[in-house]
Amino acid sequence: SSHVKAMGKDECKTMLDALNKVTACYRHLVIALGSTSDSQNLREELKRTRKKAQELAVANRTKLTSLLKDKSISKDDRAEYERLWVLFSSSMELLEVDMKRSLEIGQDFPLKVPTRHLIQTGMTGSTTTVAARAMSVQNMKYEADSNIDTADLRDLQCEISQVSQMMEEMEMKVQVAPWAVEAKQEAGAELKSNMSVGNSSVGVISICEEEPKEEDGGGNRDAGFASICAVLVFFVIVTVAVVLGYLVINMS
Amino acid sequence: MTIRNTLRDHGQRYRPRMACLKKAEKLLLEMQDPKTGVKSQPQRLVITTIPHAITGEDIIAWLADRFQVDTQEARNFVSMLVALGYIYPLQDHRRLVIKPDASLYRFQTPYFWPTQQWPVEDTDYAIYLAKRNIRKRGILELHEQEHYNRLHKWMNHKWDFVVMQAKEQYRAAKERKKPDRVVFECQERAYWVVHRPPPGTVSAMDYGLDRLTDPNADEVTGLLCCSFKHYTPLTRSLCFLCSRRLVKYCSTYKSHDPFLSNCLPSNPWLTDDATYWSLNMPSVEIPTKMRVERWTFSFAELLSDPRGRDDFRLFLKKEFSGENLAFWEGCEDLKWGEAATMREKAEHIYKTFLARGAPRWINIDGKTMEVTVKGLKHPHRYVLDPAQTHIYMLMKKDSYGRYQKSPVFKDTVKKAICPEEHRYSDAQLQQNAKKRRPSLSPIILRQMEQEQRAKMAANVDITQVMSKLSKQGKEAPPPFLAPPLRNKHKRVMFRDFYRRI
Repeated sequence: SSHVKAMGKDECKTMLDALNKVTACYRHLVIALGSTSDSQNLREELKRTRKKAQELAVANRTKLTSLLKDKSISKDDRAEYERLWVLFSSSMELLEVDMKRSLEIGQDFPLKVPTRHLIQTGMTGSTTTVAARAMSVQNMKYEADSNIDTADLRDLQCEISQVSQMMEEMEMKVQVAPWAVEAKQEAGAELKSNMSVGNSSVGVISICEEEPKEEDGGGNRDAGFASICAVLVFFVIVTVAVVLGYLVINMS
Repeated sequence: MTIRNTLRDHGQRYRPRMACLKKAEKLLLEMQDPKTGVKSQPQRLVITTIPHAITGEDIIAWLADRFQVDTQEARNFVSMLVALGYIYPLQDHRRLVIKPDASLYRFQTPYFWPTQQWPVEDTDYAIYLAKRNIRKRGILELHEQEHYNRLHKWMNHKWDFVVMQAKEQYRAAKERKKPDRVVFECQERAYWVVHRPPPGTVSAMDYGLDRLTDPNADEVTGLLCCSFKHYTPLTRSLCFLCSRRLVKYCSTYKSHDPFLSNCLPSNPWLTDDATYWSLNMPSVEIPTKMRVERWTFSFAELLSDPRGRDDFRLFLKKEFSGENLAFWEGCEDLKWGEAATMREKAEHIYKTFLARGAPRWINIDGKTMEVTVKGLKHPHRYVLDPAQTHIYMLMKKDSYGRYQKSPVFKDTVKKAICPEEHRYSDAQLQQNAKKRRPSLSPIILRQMEQEQRAKMAANVDITQVMSKLSKQGKEAPPPFLAPPLRNKHKRVMFRDFYRRI
């Protein structure tokens, strides 16, 4: 049974990771609402991501409640399940707020009304890759009606009330003191993460962190420095080649 | 469960206070019109080009045109929009100000618009800081590091979630194309500059408590709409009197109000230099000129200022009528003191000031004395109110006027200091900010106060000494220590008699 329990814990963690991923993607999509990135496709992406999040939420809740209800688990196990429970409920809180906000913003920015303009935020690309990540597919296929921006809002309202109800039930039925949970990660744990930063992001960062005196010089400075290095190396190599050539000629 | 968003609308409780937000949103939408809105241009960066950048002068010009106001007014308006976070600067992102030149700005996405309905969560801030840590180590500024450490401490139970979510949000953001990624980072950063302002700045969204009325709802008509001419003559004259008093108060105190005029040497909240407070401590040797001037405004001002009271006490001591002030202070102590010691205090005051042959007998008229003595049989906080009021009016009408002409006061005025105004440069201001230290603990201040009071109580009043001596068996007390006479007029004569000696 300990093997079964270990499997149960791993399963739980995988499902939580999935829920976490979908929540993060959903937030990213909601941020694009109302801006120039907004489109029919975005609305459909939001709808499908949301539904996936809800499925995962229900699955997680069932699993975790069954694990927590088991009285025969050890103290360590119980502490771990409580930690997972806190992860789950925090995810749900984020999801609930984002759903409510997407309803609000969705209502304020209907897509079909010609006099309602979208906010020119500078974001013009599509969010299809983010949605694909959330749905764990390679490419998104869009098959919704053209009035999704208004029709979906009614569904959204129902789903919000469902989620709120679920969270209230969770509060009532599961007796977990969240403040008693101790996190496994220390401060600055994410600094040790091996997430590849990559050169492109560094360039992006230097643009974002630019100060007024530098303006575009931040990015330029990095590029200039690299080019100066390259030129120096080139000259060194040429000098070495010339010297060697001279010696060879002299020797023969 | 964690304590969730507590701002639920339980019917009537929560109402928006910032009516400007809804109006600003309407305006923002107007600005987006491709034909009649603000002109946008692309922002050219090293790697990429991002559209929808607007210049400061364009926004100001558009607004001035839209509302038909002058440029300065439009500029104030736009600076409010920037401070709230609807428009964010692309260069110098930490300072949310509008520059009326070619500096670039951009509109903020609706999710990050300022709103009262969705309180800014610390969880989100923790996730944001963790994301920045992931992106580049050592990028957090000092105040952000402090926030991070604090959040890690009190939000520790959620920290796993914070790190997990930060990683996932970072990965999700990486899925987008480069220009959009840059824009998103700038948006998020601008949002947090508004809601977690760097030290030395204030968030425009710091709006205080929620109100009970909704300023966006339809206005209540009726009572508020009746005009002045419908008031009765009595109401009208009362209005005039009140407004005249208000005008007089404002004109008197205008130069003493640190909001309306410069406070010397400098306002500690602005320059981080605490000289102003140390010069105006309750028991400072030499008061400032402004403080001394305030003592001449009214008797209440003089008494409420501890230093003024000290000066007044000194004057009364020279006049041998210090018992009035001592009695008044005793009554205040009774009124505001602890209930447990009330009875003793009342008895002590009676024995010291009111009883026949008391060492510091005060001169109040017969009726008040009767009422007070009767009340003292069942003492309560306000039992000495009539007597206190009588003595207060006596001091105000009699001693206060003479105090202002006395050598004690004139000496104080001469010695009062008028400090020079500080002129700090920006670098010096930063230095001052670094040298900020907490002030004296209130516990220590209270101990100092109590020590002072004990010292004063130990200070023996000359009348007390003499009257004690007189009780020790001298048959006829010297003329100037004859038992105090009940009649006010006779009291005045007695004093003159003393002066003649």
